[in-house]
Amino acid sequence: MAADLTVKIGNLTLKNPVMPASGCFGYGEEYAPFYDLNKLGAVVVKGTTAKPCLGNPPIRLAETPAGLLNAIGLQNPGVEAAREKIRSLAQTGVTVIVNVAGHSVEDYLKVIEVLEQDEGTAAYEINISCPNVSAGGMAFGTDPRIVESLVKTLRSCTAKPLIIKLSPNVTDIAEIARAAENAGADAVSLINTLLGMAIDTSSRRPLLANITGGLSGPAVKPVALRMVWQVSSAVNIPVIGMGGISNAQDAVEFLLAGADAVAIGAANFVNPTVCIEAVDGIADYLVKNGFSSVTEIIGLAKNTSADKKGGACGCGKK
Amino acid sequence: MPQKRVMQIKEHSLVAPDTWRMVLDGSVSAKPGQFVQVSVSSTYDPLLRRPISVHDDGPDGLALLYRTVGRGTHMLAEKKPGDNLDILGPLGNGFPVPAEQKVILVAGGIGAAPLCYLAKKLGEAGKQVIFLFGAQNATQLYLPKTLIPSLTALEKATDDGSTGHHGLVTELMKKYLENGPLPVYSCGPEGMLRAVVKTAASYNAQAYVSLEARMACGVGACLGCVVELSQKSGKTYQRVCVDGPVFPGEEVFCHGC
Repeated sequence: MAADLTVKIGNLTLKNPVMPASGCFGYGEEYAPFYDLNKLGAVVVKGTTAKPCLGNPPIRLAETPAGLLNAIGLQNPGVEAAREKIRSLAQTGVTVIVNVAGHSVEDYLKVIEVLEQDEGTAAYEINISCPNVSAGGMAFGTDPRIVESLVKTLRSCTAKPLIIKLSPNVTDIAEIARAAENAGADAVSLINTLLGMAIDTSSRRPLLANITGGLSGPAVKPVALRMVWQVSSAVNIPVIGMGGISNAQDAVEFLLAGADAVAIGAANFVNPTVCIEAVDGIADYLVKNGFSSVTEIIGLAKNTSADKKGGACGCGKK
Repeated sequence: MPQKRVMQIKEHSLVAPDTWRMVLDGSVSAKPGQFVQVSVSSTYDPLLRRPISVHDDGPDGLALLYRTVGRGTHMLAEKKPGDNLDILGPLGNGFPVPAEQKVILVAGGIGAAPLCYLAKKLGEAGKQVIFLFGAQNATQLYLPKTLIPSLTALEKATDDGSTGHHGLVTELMKKYLENGPLPVYSCGPEGMLRAVVKTAASYNAQAYVSLEARMACGVGACLGCVVELSQKSGKTYQRVCVDGPVFPGEEVFCHGC
């Protein structure tokens, strides 16, 4: 029998725990030719700001060993134009989570205010962790007092689930997660990219026009997994885990570490069908290992009494 | 519509210094100017696919012509006939179809790769193709033998004078534009493209340039490969992968601003 893949994020039920990560999937249009987006748990759309945002000048990308630095700088058409795209994506039946970005509290409020007028948005992911903008972004996400105050303000503006996207570029990510939880967040998602840089030895200049960029891809997976483990131990709200997930096995690792759902980012660029392959692969893993529901494996790696001999042979779970 | 597919390598050979021609079994139904994203490794390093121009496409297979410049293309050069390759494509907008009967193609070095396919298709459509081809030296001027008879004119330029015109390929454009503007299609290094656009503009001819960029997704989602364009609405960043790789030359190399 097929395993139950549904998971809950606040009052939102997802048909499965897999979603493409914000900034890696546009507003869904680009990947719609490859498969039915309705097969995804949700789609997290591009970071959306109150006004149109031009983004950073090129060069915006630098490939690194098993990873990718980006400094896009939140290029997006602004909430009014994005609203149409969100509406049409939602009309196809897809659960749409909108990543909300801003340079000030007012920016975040404006985006939510506009989107609250429509039915299309199922939840908000609040981007307090973008490393590539000079004001706002990550600056909001590195101080627990600011996080608490921002989340409280946004909480009063919407009854829809608020997911706070955390930066890994902090000393204690669990403390930031607790601040979000205390202020009424429904969930946290992590990790955003790790701040990094690359230098061109020919020009003897930073390779990225923005000098620094955010590192993602398989290279960051162990860091992300560790942070998901720590945060899911520190809070009682759901955790959406991401960072270097490139296949179903990686996704299962995050679930076992304590993530209630997972997001896949850079891997979409390499394999445009990675998200649905992960959905199918998680389902296979559950069946082969005798689980009837995905919720049974969430945080299971923390269970010291778990049968450590269990493998993918189908005999692990009694 | 782009698709992800596994294709088998039929032929793979060095046709000029550092320049490889690969033929894959099957077609991606590409238009001239489109490209494919090639996975060069089955591991995560290098992580990203490599964007490579369609050099030819049809019943005889998909041909790619590329120069080994970095680690990814060197890994690609290691592949042997019989190996399978993961291909994403066709991608990008391609060259616009000219209304005129006669067109000028200006290629610089490996920039000839997409223009060969364009020349072939224009020839099949009964257009007259003037192919101007520049490179550092004669050894870099590779063209498929079957293409050459279909060209109305073929002129070469080399930096070292080892063959053809000793100088810039853009200097060859003038005599073909003097009798009236013709559309110009170009692909090559940035400095050459800039000169092509400027020369075309001085004869009131429309130039289209095919660009390359550091690219991740290839389908327009990541916004990583943008180029700055000057359009009527002002400065914008457009995606080379889906809004391009072919752009009106004057939007890329803005004049008078």
